[in-house]
Amino acid sequence: MRKYMADRVVPAGRVRRKTPARDIPEISQPTNEKAGQTLTGWRFNLLGVLFFLAGMMIIIQLVRLQFSPERGEFVSQGDLYSRTLHIFSPPRGDIYDRWGHLLAGSTLVYELGAQVENVENPDTIAFALSKVLVGHPEYDYPGYYDDVFAVIHSAQISDTAYVQLADFVTPQELDQLQDWSRNYVNLPNVDYGKAGRPSLAGIVYRPRLQRYYPENELGANFLGFVNREGTGVYGVEAEFNDLLAGTPQSIWISLDPYQVTEIPELKAGSDLVLTIDREIQAAAEEVLDQGIEASGADGGVVLVMDPNTGEMLAMASTPRLDPNEFWNYAEVFKDKTPYNRAVSADYEPGSVFKVLTMAAALDAGVVTPDTEYVDTGSIYVGGINIHNWDWGAWGPQNMEECLAHSLNVCLAWVATEMEAGPFYQYMQDFGFGQYTGIDLAAEAAGRLKIPGDTDWYEADLGTNAFGQGVAVTPIQMVMAISSVANGRGEMMIPHVMHSLVRDGFQYTPTPQIMGKPISAETAATLTQMLSDSLESESSDALVEGYRVAGKTGTAEIATPTGYTGDATNASFVGWGPLDNPRFLVYVWLEKPTSSPWGSVVAAPVFHNLVERLVVLMDIPPDGVLQGLSNQ
Amino acid sequence: MENLHQITHAYSQAPWRKQMYMIGVILLVLVSAAIIAGIYLNVTARAAAAGRQIQEMQVRIYGYHNLTADASGSSLPIEELEQRIANLTSQLAFLTSYQVMQERIKELDLEPIEVTNIEYLQVPGYVDRQTTSLAPPPEPVVVNASGIAPEFKESLFDWIAEQVRITARYFSEAKP
Repeated sequence: MRKYMADRVVPAGRVRRKTPARDIPEISQPTNEKAGQTLTGWRFNLLGVLFFLAGMMIIIQLVRLQFSPERGEFVSQGDLYSRTLHIFSPPRGDIYDRWGHLLAGSTLVYELGAQVENVENPDTIAFALSKVLVGHPEYDYPGYYDDVFAVIHSAQISDTAYVQLADFVTPQELDQLQDWSRNYVNLPNVDYGKAGRPSLAGIVYRPRLQRYYPENELGANFLGFVNREGTGVYGVEAEFNDLLAGTPQSIWISLDPYQVTEIPELKAGSDLVLTIDREIQAAAEEVLDQGIEASGADGGVVLVMDPNTGEMLAMASTPRLDPNEFWNYAEVFKDKTPYNRAVSADYEPGSVFKVLTMAAALDAGVVTPDTEYVDTGSIYVGGINIHNWDWGAWGPQNMEECLAHSLNVCLAWVATEMEAGPFYQYMQDFGFGQYTGIDLAAEAAGRLKIPGDTDWYEADLGTNAFGQGVAVTPIQMVMAISSVANGRGEMMIPHVMHSLVRDGFQYTPTPQIMGKPISAETAATLTQMLSDSLESESSDALVEGYRVAGKTGTAEIATPTGYTGDATNASFVGWGPLDNPRFLVYVWLEKPTSSPWGSVVAAPVFHNLVERLVVLMDIPPDGVLQGLSNQ
Repeated sequence: MENLHQITHAYSQAPWRKQMYMIGVILLVLVSAAIIAGIYLNVTARAAAAGRQIQEMQVRIYGYHNLTADASGSSLPIEELEQRIANLTSQLAFLTSYQVMQERIKELDLEPIEVTNIEYLQVPGYVDRQTTSLAPPPEPVVVNASGIAPEFKESLFDWIAEQVRITARYFSEAKP
């Protein structure tokens, strides 16, 4: 019994154990409990199966979507709402003249738009913009009010978030709009009828920089301009567009706050310091305009170069456009008029070309200053008779007199003495028919016909010698004659960029030599000859107190039916002071009407400019300089 | 062995222990998951808040301003300040432009000087006007000879002598 009891006395927790006792009959579980367990298990299993099926369906759907034809559309929709594309443009670099005067900078303008859901009264917005933006040609038209209203209204209907309403709004115009906006906010709360309460709510703006030229038209021809798209057009702006504009960056900015995109640090555009002297540029433009007015010319060019380095100190050309209002381009430049005649217009230069013919002949040793030529009034070259400008015979002439009297016959004879091969080799060495490499956009190469070309004839040798039958640009003439003017025989590449400011450093390239077509002795001899010839002719180009060398040029203009005597190109090239040349000036007046002769219309332009140049460049008169050096 | 069997048997046959065990495990998993979720939520919430702040700042810099907002506030982003500086620089350039200066010259009744009115003096040490300098020139690249490894410039005898010197120094330092 004790044993039995001992066997029966067990902890309470073990009452329902399944271990069968040897002497105790097995206590079986009730049937209803088993049934309940089976029922619960069935329900759990069913639930599990349902969950499994649901999960499988989701997975199948996900896989199906990945390979469905609509996948691309879903992805693009997701991208559309998950990120936005922003284009960051760094500020455009500034352009300065050689003394640090700002020629091209930046000014604030605003883009104006409407956040449509905040717009309370489209009518007021349309009215305000049509009244305030009257200074903009693109917004100053009768239907602008209706257009603005329609844009906002359609945006409201189509649930568009933002619409742009105007661009290039000035700070003054924005101030005016802000004043209007504040006034509307302070209006009393009364019934405004069908029109509704006036409000400019919903208008937003964003500032950005726009190109600005504080000197307006001054230097416009070499500066060029920047269009609405921010691209440089013509001149320095086009030539150095990549450097000035910097590197714009396009970035997709995620709207997910977990994927904040870093805004890149934009590398600003490089600043440029030009070789141009603002004061000399202004003087050149004034003198050119006066010369054109006095001569009745169609247009003209005045170039000022430092012949020692090739630095362009001034580059004046007509017509001129205010680059701040570049949209007037078509009105200013009619009939394919080049933006900058100095580099883009080629013409037959006439007798100024004789400087180079004589330089070649002297350098080749074909003639000396004392070589005598008996001018009979005509010379037969390649089947044509060449005559002097006055159709006269000048008799025995040395080379200096040939230049002084600008005798076509004499120079044609010089060229024939040289023969075609050497003559054209020299002309090619002077850079004709090729680009000078000046750092300005839209340069023309001109045309130099040479033996072997289908359109070259032997007569060309005679006419080319005095600057006809050859097409050159003023900048080519300046580069070629720099070899004579600097006294070294080295031809300097003309350039307008003095230095480049980038990454906190100022880089100044060394002036480049294009070549050395003539010797220093030839250059000195020819300079002396041209100086003496100017003085012997009492030229209008002479400047009191300063010895200068120079040559006039008058060229008939070629037409489809031959050369016309009704219109000429009048030119003058000169340089000085002779002891230490500091400037080389080139003048071209197109179709002057008061007189066809370069000596009458172009030489005074040179004189007037040099009188101002010597003051602006601090060049003492020769006598003063000699006196000071003797002290 | 019998005891172990009994214990195992005893525990395996106690459903409440099994339930307690399962509940404990589930609770442990749940609590762990809750802790991890809490930490995760905390971190991600802070990251999201920081992200939103950055986005707001970016919008303030590059986004649109309300017409009624005060644009002359003191908390302008650097980019906008630079834009204003560029604008002021251009305005200053206009005020000192050639055309405006000519008008001021006329107002002051000044005349451009003629070459005949200039008196020239010799000034010892006078430096001519220099072209503008907006920034220093780039530093010249100097090849430092000391930066060249000895292997590229010493002779074989130099190398042997150096090795001997190093070895001698090593033994001298090793002395007590």
